[in-house]
Amino acid sequence: MHDFFKSFRFKAILVLIAFLIGVMIFAVTKGGYSLSGASVVNTVTKPFKSISNTIALKIEANLDKITNATEYYNENQRLRDQIGMLNDKLADYHEKTAELEELRKYLGIKDKHEDMVLSEPCKVIGFTANDPFKSFIIDKGSDNGIKPYCPVITTEGLVGITVEVSADTSVVRTLLSPDLSIAAVSVNSGDTGIVEGTISLAMDNRTKLIHVPKENGLSVGQLITTTDNSGLFPRGYSIGTVTETGVDTSGLSSYAVIKPAVRIEKLTSVMVVTDFNGKDSSYYEN
Amino acid sequence: MRIKTTREKRILIVKTTFRWFLYLLIVFLCFITMNAGTFMRPMLLIPVALCISSNTGEFRSAIIGAVCGFMIDLSCDKLLGYNAVILCIFCVIISLSYSLILRHRLANTLIITAVVSTIQGVLDYNFYYDIWGYENSSLILKKYTFPVIALTTASAVVVYAVFSLINKFLMPKPHLTIEEAIKNYEE
Repeated sequence: MHDFFKSFRFKAILVLIAFLIGVMIFAVTKGGYSLSGASVVNTVTKPFKSISNTIALKIEANLDKITNATEYYNENQRLRDQIGMLNDKLADYHEKTAELEELRKYLGIKDKHEDMVLSEPCKVIGFTANDPFKSFIIDKGSDNGIKPYCPVITTEGLVGITVEVSADTSVVRTLLSPDLSIAAVSVNSGDTGIVEGTISLAMDNRTKLIHVPKENGLSVGQLITTTDNSGLFPRGYSIGTVTETGVDTSGLSSYAVIKPAVRIEKLTSVMVVTDFNGKDSSYYEN
Repeated sequence: MRIKTTREKRILIVKTTFRWFLYLLIVFLCFITMNAGTFMRPMLLIPVALCISSNTGEFRSAIIGAVCGFMIDLSCDKLLGYNAVILCIFCVIISLSYSLILRHRLANTLIITAVVSTIQGVLDYNFYYDIWGYENSSLILKKYTFPVIALTTASAVVVYAVFSLINKFLMPKPHLTIEEAIKNYEE
């Protein structure tokens, strides 16, 4: 042992550890961009990860069928009842459709988002290992015009934001994460707040609208969308619906539990918004 | 000690090369499966790095630890180099321990994997969740860190079996060259 500490090998190991710490410190200063070495590894392993993820998702789906057979049977029964109920409601369908059209006009989401410049559809090639906030890796990176902190969306709603961009891949932080704050508004009541994930809600695929004024009109089922306050997200994009409301433990403000419009754990492809009206360019300067 | 012939030397080189090829293949396979699916999974690269370290010298162990650590950083989206430093240090310690005091036994591998993955998991929890003061951060410890430690320790059984098999057929036996045998005899 004494010889080891005096040996050249020991000094070489110390140099290696110092180098690794140097890499770590350098990585901190990269501002969301991967180191070139990591980029190369990501590029080389991209097809393998993609294949591996496809296989794993298929296995998961089959295991899910086997392990949750009773649950699916019960769900099937429940859905049959629901179909009967929905048939009754079909009579009101046309009336509701007209109402929905009215609402769509009011929201005007699609029209208002003509300003958005979208990337090509990005395939989800893997999920970050053991991440409670379900961040994932997509197969497009800086070569496709993606930068750190670009919003990530699907047709259903907002998913999250790019946080680490390599040449060919990017890591997406989801709206379940407490590290992502999104300025949001209730379409119905106009109450504003900040959408921010929490650990306990993330495990249930939910997120939270916080800092809502105590006097508010929030109620279950209301649609929550982005506002243009931050310059980080396009205005009026769907985040999710309210499933629960309450008053903060401090008693100074209210909160709402949000069910995201997107099922993050089932995502297979997304799009990245590379530009939009009202974007604050300072986020993208490096 | 047996005396090593020229033919045996050649076989030794081929076996060693093939053994390292298999080691690196296992590391690569573990890396690409780390991001597959959304289910909770063991940190396979930890027992793999430790098993390789238990069979190699300190410097190679340090390199293997750093490589596996970098791969964990990439898979888990951690600060690049964070797990590399941790595994590099542990792999050197494990390599020294096996050359001085420990024997190749499943129990040793299990204990070492449990200790290293617990330290890695708890450090990860502290640096990535606890110190930031997230609400209910202890849930991470309960629902992610401890189950992952348990899965990683359990996976060490399979990893140990695979490496034992590889080493059984490809690990060089203690040999001497004719020159070394003569020198020993003269001494």
